[in-house]
Amino acid sequence: MISCWWLERPGGWRALGVGAVLTLAALPAVPLFLEVVLAGGRLSLGSAFGTALGSSFLVAILTGLLAFGLGLPAGVLSALYEFPGRALLLPLAVLPALVPSFLWAIGWASLSARIGPAVTDFISGQAGCVLVFLAGAVPLVLIASYVATIGLGGSQIDAARLAGGDRAVLRYASGAAAVPAVLAAALSAILTLSDPGPGQILGVRTAASEVLTSFSALYDFPLAGRQCAVLGMLVLLLAAPLAWLAAPRLSVQLMARQTGSPRRPGLRRAGIGITAGFAFLAAGTVLMPGLGLVLPLLRGTDFVQALGVVRRTGADTLLYAGGAGAVATGLGLLLALFAGRDNRLRSLCLGTCLAILALPPALGSLGIVHLAARAPAWADPLLRSRATVCFVLGLRFLPVAAVLAMRAWQSMPISWVQAAELHGVPLARYVTKVVIPFLRPTAAAALALVALLATADVGTVLLLHPPGKTSFSLAIFTVMANAPESLVASLCLAYLAWAGGLLALARAWPRRPAR
Amino acid sequence: MLRTDCILSVLVLVLVAVVGIHAPGCARQSTSEVVIYTSVDEVFARPICEQFQRQTGIQVRLVPDTEETKSTGLVNRLIAEKGRPQADVFWSGDPVRAAILKRNGVSAPYRSAEADKLPAGFSDPDGHWTGFSARARVLIYNTTRVPAGQEPKSVMDLLDPRFQGQVCIANPLFGTTSMHAAALFESLGDAGARKFFEGLIANGGKILSSNGEVRRRVANGEYAVGLTDSDDFNVARLEGKPVGGVFPDQEGMGVVLVPNCALLVANGPNAENGKRFVDFLLQAGTEAALARSGAAQIPLRTDVPLPEGFPFPPIDKLKAMPVDYARLATRLEELSRGFLKEWVDRNGR
Repeated sequence: MISCWWLERPGGWRALGVGAVLTLAALPAVPLFLEVVLAGGRLSLGSAFGTALGSSFLVAILTGLLAFGLGLPAGVLSALYEFPGRALLLPLAVLPALVPSFLWAIGWASLSARIGPAVTDFISGQAGCVLVFLAGAVPLVLIASYVATIGLGGSQIDAARLAGGDRAVLRYASGAAAVPAVLAAALSAILTLSDPGPGQILGVRTAASEVLTSFSALYDFPLAGRQCAVLGMLVLLLAAPLAWLAAPRLSVQLMARQTGSPRRPGLRRAGIGITAGFAFLAAGTVLMPGLGLVLPLLRGTDFVQALGVVRRTGADTLLYAGGAGAVATGLGLLLALFAGRDNRLRSLCLGTCLAILALPPALGSLGIVHLAARAPAWADPLLRSRATVCFVLGLRFLPVAAVLAMRAWQSMPISWVQAAELHGVPLARYVTKVVIPFLRPTAAAALALVALLATADVGTVLLLHPPGKTSFSLAIFTVMANAPESLVASLCLAYLAWAGGLLALARAWPRRPAR
Repeated sequence: MLRTDCILSVLVLVLVAVVGIHAPGCARQSTSEVVIYTSVDEVFARPICEQFQRQTGIQVRLVPDTEETKSTGLVNRLIAEKGRPQADVFWSGDPVRAAILKRNGVSAPYRSAEADKLPAGFSDPDGHWTGFSARARVLIYNTTRVPAGQEPKSVMDLLDPRFQGQVCIANPLFGTTSMHAAALFESLGDAGARKFFEGLIANGGKILSSNGEVRRRVANGEYAVGLTDSDDFNVARLEGKPVGGVFPDQEGMGVVLVPNCALLVANGPNAENGKRFVDFLLQAGTEAALARSGAAQIPLRTDVPLPEGFPFPPIDKLKAMPVDYARLATRLEELSRGFLKEWVDRNGR
């Protein structure tokens, strides 16, 4: 009988396992990095890359800070209190996480063009980029803070309230949610580094757009590879202190038997302030750019053609999203198992994951395309199929799942495994009766989150999808340049309706009975 | 726990169902299909592919791209796949990218019988790519901002003080603007072209992300004049925007024409079907269909009748800039690494 203490046992196997999963995650980028090394000689990064890098980091830092500043209080307050309009405003504030960033950029650009040049000047440039990225970043921080807060036991909250009133509750909950919120903000900030879309649309020179120029205008893969390598290494350097600080504080240790959800008391006067804050957030991240997206519908609609696009791409979009979610979640849980409670390994995982997330998707995708072109035909189901798209998307968003999984693993009280060991519970029984049920909510959240991020991806799908098997986001992306405004607006509305529908479905889902 | 269990179960079921329905996920190659990569906007390319599919029964698997400069596009994918390509045909929106593919050994020579009636000047002399229906680089202006009689007539008018601070062009490192830039270097010479680009900035000209962006911002009145493609102008015109379009330099160096190009991919998996698709693209019927489309592409054959209300003159009434399209690719590569990159770095945001 294998002892369930095996799960907590230290040893070289942990480092080996972590190394193997992280190597797998970095694997798609290897072919192009190899090309860089083999090209040798020149070490130039292009004359404007330094400036672009500075601009990118500025946008990323501002996005991260603002997302943290807005998302943490929003998540904590919405988890702790009822306030007027909560049922509508909370899903509205989360909606932008379900929509690709380029749609919000188009929405803002379209809206500003209708209002006038003064607004355009404000919205374009770095301010506009931050605004667009915030739309996706704030919901991620909000969700992380919300989940961390509702993860606190009801009696922990009650105890804090008894000790110091609502101020103490807020302080306690914010403290508990701060580390997940910082990580979510960091992930969001780092995601901005690899996304050239908003920068290109809003006229900001970023590192991602320089890489894009190297790929698409200069066809210089080694230059693009060098630029990606520098970007990744810088992120690794910057993320190292964050990873070192966050790794031991990744989770909130639950008190024994405190599993009841916190009560959510209603607020009156203060509630109006919170409602106003949420309304402002929703207006800035959803309503304004959403208005820009759908305004052209006033001049005409093209829903029939839009529906045709949805029919053509719907199944593959779901497959890519679900597949990516499954791959990322599976590997994330594996990474959490290998890292266990070892702070050094967790720091290594976090730092490397953040660096991987900063690499532009084209790097890994083109690496796989290169590999597939050199591989024999029998490898096509592995390297040139929809499974390939799922796999590469899953590896790209592995960091998101890994952070959630490591947090959940660390939250699992060590006393459980000690008790099981004491009573001679076999490993298989412990895993099926304790570990899996405990990790299942996290797995579901990771799967859903990665699926949503994968749905919004364009770069990976464009380069890797088998002919004729495109995704809905990519379909919008490929028609938006020259299609009539009515068609583009109809497609955007369909996307918003899909995202809204998902939120409504999540909201209407039967809840577990209050204990 | 019930809620998350349910969500997880539904997600897994959806995944299993989708995988079950579409189990053979990898790209199947058979005798009854053809794989087309295209940089032509999908909204214009797909109806042509569907027409081919209806006529021949050969299933078209279309992989579209966009000229908007926000992705690492299909040309990279074609180059990367060269060792064992998935595509049979690349339908390019411009000849420069076709020439780049030829230089990278991606294309195979194929002289279609349908090409005999097309003017030879728009095709590769070695038969690697064949030009058909063309767009043109046009000056688009906002009719509420440019009074009648003051319309620009030449690209050099973009340097005119009357348009100071009101001019925009797309990033010349990408798309057809890059080809136009290379053509200007060929036509005006190095010194003349550099003077043009520096003069544009001195006159307050702005670099935007794409031709579509130029169209949108001129149509909305943010800029008075811009340089874009004729299909962009026509889309704005069809949407009822207050825009006018001018074929520049009809009394000077001529307008830059941008033909579509059909390119057969070397060692494509369905080579015979690929040839049939190339033949189809080069037919007079395809030129007529592209002329009828929202892109209003100009047929290169003079005997293809223009549809009623066609917004542009026929090809033989246009003064085209004489350019060697094959040479432009080499010129562009040199410029993209040199002056144009440096100019964009200096003057872009």
